[in-house]
Parts: sequence; structure tokens; C-alpha cells
Amino acid sequence: MGFQVALQPGNLLFCFIGVLIGTLVGVLPGLGPVAAISLLLPTTFHVTPVSAVIMLAGIYYGAMYGGSTTSILVNIPGEAASVVTCLDGYQMARHGRAGPALGIAAFGSFIAGTLGVLGLMLIAPPLAEMGLKFGPPEYFALMTLGLTILTFLASGPMWKALLMAAFGLFLGCIGMDTLMGAPRFTWDIIELSDGIGLVPVVMGLFGISEVLLNVEKSMERSVFETKIKNLLPDLRDWADSIFAILRGTVIGFFLGVLPGGGAVISAFVSYAVEKKISPYPEKFGTGMIPGVAGPEAANNAATGGAFIPLLTLGIPANAVMAILLGAMMIHGMQPGPMLVKEHPDLFWGAVTSMYLGNVMLLVLNLPLIGLWVKILKVPYPILFPLILLFCLIGCYSLNNSIVEVLIMVIFGFIGYLFKKFEYEGAPLVLALVLGPMMETALRRSLLLSAGDPMIFLTRPIAAGLMLVSFFLLLYPLIPRLGKRRTILPPEKKED
Amino acid sequence: MQRFNNDQVSAAIWLALGTIICLAALGYDLGTLASPGTGFMPFLAGLAMVLFSAIGLGYGTLRRKQGTGWKPTLRGLRWDKSLLVLTALFTYIFLLPPLGFSLCTALFIGFLLKAVKPQKWSVVVSGSILTALGAYGVFELWLKAQLPKGPWGF
Repeated sequence: MGFQVALQPGNLLFCFIGVLIGTLVGVLPGLGPVAAISLLLPTTFHVTPVSAVIMLAGIYYGAMYGGSTTSILVNIPGEAASVVTCLDGYQMARHGRAGPALGIAAFGSFIAGTLGVLGLMLIAPPLAEMGLKFGPPEYFALMTLGLTILTFLASGPMWKALLMAAFGLFLGCIGMDTLMGAPRFTWDIIELSDGIGLVPVVMGLFGISEVLLNVEKSMERSVFETKIKNLLPDLRDWADSIFAILRGTVIGFFLGVLPGGGAVISAFVSYAVEKKISPYPEKFGTGMIPGVAGPEAANNAATGGAFIPLLTLGIPANAVMAILLGAMMIHGMQPGPMLVKEHPDLFWGAVTSMYLGNVMLLVLNLPLIGLWVKILKVPYPILFPLILLFCLIGCYSLNNSIVEVLIMVIFGFIGYLFKKFEYEGAPLVLALVLGPMMETALRRSLLLSAGDPMIFLTRPIAAGLMLVSFFLLLYPLIPRLGKRRTILPPEKKED
Repeated sequence: MQRFNNDQVSAAIWLALGTIICLAALGYDLGTLASPGTGFMPFLAGLAMVLFSAIGLGYGTLRRKQGTGWKPTLRGLRWDKSLLVLTALFTYIFLLPPLGFSLCTALFIGFLLKAVKPQKWSVVVSGSILTALGAYGVFELWLKAQLPKGPWGF
């Protein structure tokens, strides 16, 4: 059924458009997959839900592919998950090995993406069955764990990330209380009765704020001038990379599944693992090919893994999945355990299209590298007005609302201040998306238990998840275990 | 300001904001644990903000005592450029309904091309006109985005 749906000419076209735009977005610094999906969301209103999800998913993993190009050639990550690729990829380019770096990144991403899709096909249906056993306490506990993991792994002090999450939970309360039907914090503004939209917030926090920060600095960037040759890695490159790719795939897939995990964390963990087990750890950062292969594989495998909690439990694992969740709900779909049963065409069509998308990306990335390099050379002073215009139009066209555009710009300024004071936006975004669901789950759980909060500790699955959350929250206080490992980079741009 | 560091200042602001949120949430029905009301979750969120910002204030104070002072956030940067961009954005929003999408976009792009990192006038004029026309074609005609029309009908 999946191939029947994915191979329809219309869906193939949307898959192609999605991966092409995603690669373009990934190549261009300044516009990440979150902003791209947000901008293009309105364009999906005129197509079927299946096609919409296929295209938006294509943008996501296309951006993962494209991000490696700028990391290797310009030493600027095209998107957040490619930050690590800069470390060794750019060094490889400086030593005349840009071709093998780009090639192994593309092939590694293809292998990981394909294996990730296979993992999704195997794990998702039984997880959906398990999801049917989840009640409000389990959902609340799982979402709490997701938020906790993200705050635990964020860079900087954990209190900042927790503060962002708490603020995000508050923002999620703005609008109509769905259980009581009463407005909250709307100040008689009609547009706020539906809540603060996710799209204006993410476009502001990650798109507009990034532009505001970039225009303050020198806007020159130099593209590494080299004739790129030998894109196909040789046997030695494969020998050095294949196990890194396989390890990165496993790391990325399972970290991608966890709410709060995702491509960025996966890439960093993979890099740390490769450096740890390498016989030459001191050479990492000087052009080691496993330092490119592993993280690029991890961030692509994470995209497949991230779809699992979204499609099977209806819980977005990260900000990109949160927007996809919003897109599916706009199209009348309710992701969750019943999705496989009620909309098998959507589920299997989306899964199969990911595999086809990976093939398209491999075909696109290698031959079109020259084109991407040309695009990279468009001067930023010319590029940033276009980025801003896309943000403005994309936000306005969601609901034809000037108020939402105003919200986006306000959050753009807030995001700018966040970056100045070293606060991260990712926990806020995840909490904004999860907040309404968490509130519903929390209130229903308390109703079920007649007000007894121990319900979260007496039901086994919920108890297990809550205990892990508590442990992660208390971990930084344990003196001997020392400093919390920071996995995420200081935020440049999100997914 | 030099007496405090960045974390102390930001944590104090968050503490104030969290307190305001808690007080505002009290204006809605908190309900009981057995039947949480409308204000329950915002109150909890505000309380969490107060808690974490208090921790942050303590953390910042400890670091101040260890010698971590105020880190300038704008030194050496052309913050006037980002202020220009922000002003342009707000102006665009307020002029969009009366002027319409095409004219407003052309003025917006033209302003940014000239004011932030000045381009030649030929680039400014052609860039702003082509961008406005291109955006109109793509979003209004192709994607049917229903963008605001000015007094000239476009």
C-alpha cells in the first residue's frame, strides 16, 4: 500500500519538490527546516493530506542533507544539526578533500536514512499498539520526560532551559481552555482566542532573530574556493567510514525516537562516540572522515526515528515534528495510535515516500553540488531581505492575520534578546506544542484519581517515565557525577 | 548595571514575569486538585518560572561573587543595523493594510537594500520592483494567498 501511494505521480512530484526545497534550505544558512516548513505550510492547504505530509517530510530530511554542504565548504552550518560537520568537514576541504567529504556525507546520509525508514516500518506498528494502552498519566509522563531530556541536553545552565520550558507552557495556556471552554490571557484579542500560533513563534524565534543577529556582524562569508572533484569516496574512505555510519545510524535513530531528542543531539552524540573510540582522538578536528560520516548519518537516521512518536503516539519529538503535527491536524488528521488503523494510506505512504526521498536526495546532492555552491555565493545583504519577506508572507498567509505577523516580529525581537542573554528557544517551542496536551493529560489524570497526584507514580509505565525525568532533573546536583554533559551547541538555528 | 551580571539581570526579569503570571492566573479559577480549573496550569507554569528564575538569580549571584561581571551584548556590533531591520519590520506591518502588499513590499525591500548594507541604486530599484512583482506572482496569483490589496487593487 505504501508504494502504491508514494509512487503516484502527484506524490512523487511533491516528494521531489519537498526534498529539493529542503536541500536548498539546508544549504542556505539563515533559514532552517523549521522556518522552511512553516513558510511552506500554507502551500499545502490546496493538496491532499498525504501529499502535504510527504512534501513537508521531504523538506525536513532534505534540509539534513543540504546542511552538510555549507558546513564543509563554508564552515557555517546550513542548519543546526550540521554544526558538528563543520569541525572535520571544513578541514577536509582545506586539505583538498572537499569531494570525499561531500560524497561520504551524502552516501552516509542515504544509508542512514534508508535504515531509519526500515526501523520506522518495523517499530512503529507495535508501538502504536502499545500506545493504545497509554492513558492520560502515561501521556503526561512521556511528555514530561521529553521536555526534561531536551532541557538536560541543552547547552548552558539547566535552569535557563527549564525556565524556557516553563515559559513555553505558559504560552501554551493562552487562548481557550479546551476543558472548560473559557478564554485565558486573550485580552479580548480575537486572534488570541485560538492561542499563540506555533508558526509565528518559531519563525520569529529562529528566522527573524537569526537575521537580526547576522546583520549586526560582517555579512561577508567566503566559500571555500576549490575545484570539487572525486565525489565518490575511495575504498580507504569507505573502510574508515562504514562503521561510523552504522553506529551513527543506530545512535541517531534511537535518539530521534525520544521526545526531546532529535537530529542535533544525535549528531553531537555520534561525534563524541567516534572521537572516544577512535585510535586517534587527537586528530578529530583536523579532517577525520569518521567525524563527518558518523554525525551526518546520525542526523539523517534521527529524522526517521523522530516520525515514530509523532505517527504512533501523536507526540512530536522536536519542533519540526511539532509543526508537522500542526499540519496534519490542519488537514483533519489526528496522529496517534489510531492513525495506522484509520489512515493507513497516510501512514504507509509517508513512510515509503521517505525511502524514495532518500534516493532522490542522493541523486540531487552529488550532481547539483555546483549549483548549491553558486547559491551560497549570493551575498547575504541581498539574501536576508528575501528571507524576511518569506517569513512575513508565510506567516500572514496562514490565517490572513496581521496580528500573527506582529506576534512573529515580536518573537523575533524576543529571540534576539534570548540569544544575547544565552537562552535557548528549543525548550520553549517544544513546551508550547506539548503544553496544551500536557495540561489536558494532567487535568484528566487528576480527575481520574480524584486529585491524588500519586497516580503518576502508581501506574508502572508512568512511574518509570517520571522517575527517569526526576533523575535527569536531579543529576546536575549530584557532586561526584560532576558537570552535566552539554551535548547541544549554543543555539544557532533549530529544527 | 555593572554591579550585576547578565544572569542576575535576566533572572530578575523572569522572576518578575513569573510572579505577574501567577497573580494573573489567580484571577481565573484554580479549582482543586480533584477538579483543576482554568487557572491551574498557568499558575503552575508561573510558579515554575518563579522557582527556576530564583535558582538563576542565586546562580548569577554566586558567579558574580566569583568575579563574573556584566558581559556587554552589543559591543563591537552594528546593533544599529538590527534596529533598522526591526523598525522596517514593524513599519511594514503597519503600512501593509493601507498601502497593500506590492507597494509595501517594494518599499520594504528597497529600504533594506539601501539602509543596512547599502547597494547601488540600480540594484535597490530593480531588486525591490522585481521582488515585489515576483512575490505577487508566486503568492497571490499562483498560491492564491489573498494578500492585502492597497487602494490601487494590488
